[in-house]
Amino acid sequence: MNLWKRLMCYSRRHSPWIFHMNAGSCNGCDIELIASLTPRYDAEQLGVLHEGSPRHADILCISGPVTHNAAAAIKTVYGQVYGPKAVVAIGSCPASTNVFIDSRTLEGPLDRHIPVDVYVPGCPPRPDSILQGIAKAAEILAERGNHPPASESASETKSGEARQ
Amino acid sequence: MLWKNLWGGSRTLLYPARPTVSDNYRGLVLFEPSRCTGCAMCKFRCTSRAIEFTPGKGEFTWSYDPGQCTFCGRCVEGCKTHALSQEAACPPIYLSAGELKKSYTLVRKPPAPRPAATAPALKPKAGGAQ
Amino acid sequence: MNIVTALVRLLLFPGILFAVPAAWFFLWVERKAVARMQGRIGPPFMQPFFDFIKLLGKHVPPRAGVGGLLMMTWPLVAVASAGVAVGLLPVLPASGGFEGDLILLLGLMEVPSMCLIAAGFSSRSIFGEIGSAREAVLSVSYNVVFLLAILSIAASQHTFRLEALAQLPVSPLQVVGVVALLVCLPAKLHLNPFSLPNAEQEIYAGPLTEYAGPELALWELSHGLEWVAATGLVATLIAPQATAWWLAALVFVALSFAIVLLLSAVSAATARLQIDTTVRFYWQCTLVFAVLAVASALFMRFRS
Repeated sequence: MNLWKRLMCYSRRHSPWIFHMNAGSCNGCDIELIASLTPRYDAEQLGVLHEGSPRHADILCISGPVTHNAAAAIKTVYGQVYGPKAVVAIGSCPASTNVFIDSRTLEGPLDRHIPVDVYVPGCPPRPDSILQGIAKAAEILAERGNHPPASESASETKSGEARQ
Repeated sequence: MLWKNLWGGSRTLLYPARPTVSDNYRGLVLFEPSRCTGCAMCKFRCTSRAIEFTPGKGEFTWSYDPGQCTFCGRCVEGCKTHALSQEAACPPIYLSAGELKKSYTLVRKPPAPRPAATAPALKPKAGGAQ
Repeated sequence: MNIVTALVRLLLFPGILFAVPAAWFFLWVERKAVARMQGRIGPPFMQPFFDFIKLLGKHVPPRAGVGGLLMMTWPLVAVASAGVAVGLLPVLPASGGFEGDLILLLGLMEVPSMCLIAAGFSSRSIFGEIGSAREAVLSVSYNVVFLLAILSIAASQHTFRLEALAQLPVSPLQVVGVVALLVCLPAKLHLNPFSLPNAEQEIYAGPLTEYAGPELALWELSHGLEWVAATGLVATLIAPQATAWWLAALVFVALSFAIVLLLSAVSAATARLQIDTTVRFYWQCTLVFAVLAVASALFMRFRS
């Protein structure tokens, strides 16, 4: 099945569907993410579609330092994305909570809750940086699809059944 | 307008082309160790604790974490010896937390020799506290 | 129509073998045309095919119980009915048909949207229910006009055979009917300005919110097949008769392509209308149109 695997790897790299979630951000990074779908930067040339449901998406784009209200929601949505999946942390807030360090309403940087694959620094990052991050995440996704780690499929099955 | 768009061509930048940024774009903070005097003004002015400064006798450690940085430029404005500047390019994406963190350990330079006291004797001692 | 012809039409042309690549092609044409009209580049050529393959490879855990089985059948039924609907189109001359195949075609073209409605309700998610309710309201609105337009064309010729309808000479009644059909197509295919069930900003993904992986791939395929069937129906109604089979096929594909471009232009130029505006549009404006068409058809029939 080598041809099928190669076709699947190629398709996964060229069709990354994103779902965007705001974990308490100031909306600057969200605006820049939506700006990357506009004609000048055009994410659709890479096959990126901004999907309306996490179950449809491959790549989860999170912006914002994770607030108390968002922490549980992030984990739920991460469980709702079916594998193979990748996570992109947009902006410096999810990487390290940026200027909100020591705030008592935050639950900390994003990688305390879900595994993050690509960090796009900037405050806010430019849309072309976000596109580079999504493209890199699509490559990581394609590689991960070829060699699924055992822990990922087990945790997904549990969370997938719990959702149903 | 549809017609104009259809025949006028697209304004899209073909990936991976990126637009050029202006000259005073505030990107990654670049550190010039030879100009640093260890005053820690940058750490004081930093809004997000991206700059860490560990003082010590004779040497000090200065580190900068771009993942924590908000690229505001206060450190660059506060540095009197212009040891800090901001790169006019977008910061690069990275794959693991803390990957871009840089730290330097520098030997504290001896202070510059004071200029000879040429003030007249009438001036009080405050003139010597330069 | 003997069994061999039926199988050829169902499986080869314009059946599954032609319809599935045509579905991907038309989906790509629509996305590319809308992108170009918005000043963007748009996806590369094989994009819907890659989307399909990628969706087949998602690791989706199986759903438990009867609800899961039910949710799995809706996309299968939708794809099957849309594929058979494409196979029924009278593209090639003298390809045979049977009395009443127009009724079968209309019924089969309804099934994908009914499956969408049922899927939204059976997925037990609030977004699915709202999306399905909107799709149901939309379906009730445009179907009246759609069916009246086709039936008026059919009634004026006293026939329900698709082949006979495909060979009609151009008449004012036929023009009115085809224009009414074209007005209904954006609603049928969930395009702007009638794309309410797809309203992402409001109800996430609408009826398909809980679908993923291979089932979602089948939904996308059924959407593409609906494109082929709907544009193909209009194309066969307006296509001039050609004697050579390859010429007829070419004309069919070219006309469908032109209709896809027209619908993409309409979709790129307009914004999404609210549900009450949509319903009012179909029931007040176009219903008058369709009633006129039926009345004139019956009038002509009683005169002749």
